[in-house]
Amino acid sequence: MQRASRLKRELSLLTTEPPPGITCWQTGNQLDDLRAQILGGADTPYEKGIFNLEIVVPERYPFEPPKIRFLTPIYHPNIDSAGRICLDVLKLPPKGAWRPSLNISTLLTSIQLLMAEPNPDDPLMADISSEYKYNKQLFLLNAKEWTEKHASQQKRPLEEKINQSEASATNDSTVQKRKGSSISKKEKKSRLDS
Amino acid sequence: MLYFTTLDEEFVFSFLGTLPLIKMESSDSSDKGNIDQSEAQRQSQLDRLDREEAFYQFVNNLSEEDYRLMRDNNLLGTPGEITEEELLRRLHQVKEGPPQQNSDENRGAESAEDVSNGDSIIDWLNSVRQTGNTTRSGQRGNQSWRAVSRTNPNSGDFRFSLEINVNRNNGNTNPETENEPSVEPSSGEDLENGQSDSEIPRSESPSVRQPGSERSTSEELTTEEASPPRGQRRARSRSPEQRRTRARTDRSRSPINPVSEAPRRSHHNTSSQTLDHSSVNEAEGSSRTRQHVTLRQHTVGTEMPSENAVLFSTPETRPVPQAAGSSETNSTSESTTPGQRPPTIVLDLQVRRVRPGEYRQRDSIANRTRSRSQTPNNTVTYESERGGFRRTFSRSERAGVRTYVSTIRIPIRRILNTGLSETTSVAIQTMLRQIMTGFGELSYFMYSDSDADPSGPTPNQNVDASEPQNGAGGTSSNEGADVSSGEVYEGGNEGGSTSGARREGRNTRGSVTFEESGSLPFLSLAQFFLLNEDDDDQPRGLTKEQIDNLAMRNFGESDALKTCSVCITEYTEGNKLRKLPCSHEYHVHCIDRWLSENSTCPICRRAVLASGNRESVV
Repeated sequence: MQRASRLKRELSLLTTEPPPGITCWQTGNQLDDLRAQILGGADTPYEKGIFNLEIVVPERYPFEPPKIRFLTPIYHPNIDSAGRICLDVLKLPPKGAWRPSLNISTLLTSIQLLMAEPNPDDPLMADISSEYKYNKQLFLLNAKEWTEKHASQQKRPLEEKINQSEASATNDSTVQKRKGSSISKKEKKSRLDS
Repeated sequence: MLYFTTLDEEFVFSFLGTLPLIKMESSDSSDKGNIDQSEAQRQSQLDRLDREEAFYQFVNNLSEEDYRLMRDNNLLGTPGEITEEELLRRLHQVKEGPPQQNSDENRGAESAEDVSNGDSIIDWLNSVRQTGNTTRSGQRGNQSWRAVSRTNPNSGDFRFSLEINVNRNNGNTNPETENEPSVEPSSGEDLENGQSDSEIPRSESPSVRQPGSERSTSEELTTEEASPPRGQRRARSRSPEQRRTRARTDRSRSPINPVSEAPRRSHHNTSSQTLDHSSVNEAEGSSRTRQHVTLRQHTVGTEMPSENAVLFSTPETRPVPQAAGSSETNSTSESTTPGQRPPTIVLDLQVRRVRPGEYRQRDSIANRTRSRSQTPNNTVTYESERGGFRRTFSRSERAGVRTYVSTIRIPIRRILNTGLSETTSVAIQTMLRQIMTGFGELSYFMYSDSDADPSGPTPNQNVDASEPQNGAGGTSSNEGADVSSGEVYEGGNEGGSTSGARREGRNTRGSVTFEESGSLPFLSLAQFFLLNEDDDDQPRGLTKEQIDNLAMRNFGESDALKTCSVCITEYTEGNKLRKLPCSHEYHVHCIDRWLSENSTCPICRRAVLASGNRESVV
C-alpha cells in the first residue's frame, strides 16, 4: 500500500546494501521509474557484461510486481529481444509467484540467478532455448558474443546521449551513481520498437 | 480463466502505454535540466509521503468497525492519495448516512412530461441534455411506468432511469393510457435490499416496491453486511386518478423515508449525484467500478482531461415462482397467480463524467473482491472487459425473486459534445439504441408479468450479440446486437416497432400471449449484457467475509516480528495486525488488500483458506 514510502525504503536499502553485482537507482526524481545494472556472473557467458534494466513500479506496487525489462540485449532462453523476462516472480499469482514480501532487490537477485541458470523448459525464445538444451557450446558462444557486442564496458564512450539523459538521475544524492552505461544505439532502437 | 487473461492483457496494455509517458517525462526533466519541474516532483512526492503517513495514522486510529465500513465502501483509497481530512470527511459521511438533498424539488420543478417514446437515441440524448430533467411516465392497465432523466448542466452527469411496476391485482382496471408525473426515481437503493424487501409477501396489497436501482454489481455483491432494506412501498389505489395524486404525495415523501433506513450512503449516489459537490462524491462511492476502465484508458496515455463513463444497468426484480425458480428454460411458464407480488423493473442508465485520477478503482477492495461465493443469494456474477467495455452481469435469486443486474461501463469521451462521432461513441450509441429499444419493448413486458426466466439459459447465445459490440466497437456491432434482440422479440410482438403502437396492441393481450412469447424483450437486454461463461473467471481473492474471519489483534511491543513485510514498515503501538493461519502477520490494511485478490500468504505462500473452504471461493 505504501508505494512511495516503501519505495523510498527499498531504494535506500539498495543504496546502502546492494546485493552483489547489482546496482539500482532512480531516473530523475521519479520514484517509480528505476534503472538497474546487473553484472554478468563469473562462469557464465555473460561474464564481464554489464546489463541494464528498466524497472517500472506500478501504481499498485507492492500488490503488483514491478515491471522489469532488460535494456541491454541479452542472449538468453528466457529473455526476449525486447528485454522482457520470463520469470515467475515477476508475475502475479496464480500464474506467477509475485508477492508483496518480495522487493526490487530480491527480484534483481532472482534475475541474476536466472541469467546464471536459464530455464529452457519455460522458454521465451524457443530457438535459444533449444540451442541451450541441445547445443550448449553454440549457445555459450552466441551468448558471449552478444555480451561482448552489447554489454561490454568498452561501449561506454558511445553512450553520451544516454548518460546525458540520465545525468540528472545521478544528481540525486540518495541514489547510487551509475557506473557505466552500455546501451548501444541499436539497442535503444529496439527498445523503441518494443 | 479468461478473467486473468483479460487482466493480463490489460496489464501489458497499460504497461506499454505508460512507458512512453514516463520516459518522456523523465527525459524532459533531465534533458532540459528543468529544476523547477524536478523540484515540483520532489515536492509532490514529499507531500505524498506526508499523506501516506497521515493515512496510516488515520487507519490505525480507526475502530475496527469504522475501518471495515470505510474499506467496504472503498473510501480508503490508496495511501497518500487523499488527505487525512478527506478521509475523515468520508468517514463522517458514511456514518451519517447519505445526504438526502434529494432531487425532489429539482425533479418536481424541472420535470417536463413528454410522452413521445420513439425518439432516436441521439435526439433523446440531445433533448435530455438540453432540457435537463425530463420525466416521462405512463400508466397502462395494471402497469405504470416512469422514465426519469436528469442532467446536471454543471458536471454533465446524466442519468436516466426507467421503472415499471406491474400489479396483477390491479389488472384490468383501467386500460387507457394515462400520463402520470414521475413519482420517485429509482434512486440509489440497494439492490439487495430490494431483493430482501421483495421477499415480504404482499399478496393482497397492490403496493409496489422500488427495487434498488443501479449499483455496480461487484459492489453490490460485496457489501453483504449492508444496511437494512430501504425498500419503499407505495400504495396504489385502483383508480388512476387517485393514483396520480397518491403518487405525487409519495414522491415528496420518498426521499425522506430512506434516511433512516439506509445507512449505506454510497449507494445513494444515483439519486443525488447530480446535485452538489458532496453528493458527487457520494456518487463516486458506487461508481468506482466504472472507473476501472476509465483509469485504464488514462494510463494508456490518451490525453483526456475528463472522460465520461456510461453506465447502464438493468436491475430487474421479478417474481419467480418458487417451483420455477431454478428452471433455466427459455419458455414462459404459467403466469403468476393473482395476488403474487407485483414485480418492479428498473432500468438505469447513467452517464457521468469521471475525473481522471479521482479514484482508483483497482485499489478498492470491495470492488476487486469477487463474491461469487455468496451462494446464499444464489448470486452469479459475470464480468468481462473487452475492447474498452466492461460488463458485469449478475443474477441472484432469493426467495423466489430473481434479480438481474447488468452493468456496462464504457469509457467515452465527449459523448454529449461531439455528437457521438467517435468510434467508441458509435458503439455506445448502438448500445444505447439497443437499450432504448428495450425500453420500448418494456411496455410489452409490462403485460406479461411472466415468470419465465429466459436469461438463465442464454448466456452463450448472448455472446454473439455482445462480442461484436465489444470487438468492433463500431457500427458493425449493430447487426449482432439487433439480431439478438430481434429474435427475442419475435415471439409475442405483433405490434409495430414503436412502443406506442405496441402498447395499443397489447391491451388486448392477456398473459396467454406471453406464455407464447417465450422470452421477454426486456430480458433480452439483460441477455445482451450477459457475459460468456468463459469470461466468468474464478475469483482469486478472498471475499470480505473471509478476510474478516481472519484473526486480528493490536500490536504490542513485545511481539517478535516487528515489521510488516508488505509495507516494510515497523509496527508501532496500536497498529492493527491480521494473523493468517500460517501465523504470519501483517498490517490489516496491507494484507486485506493483498487478500482481496490473492489467497496465499505473502511470506510463505500457503493458502490462507483451508482447501475445504476454497470451494466456496471458487
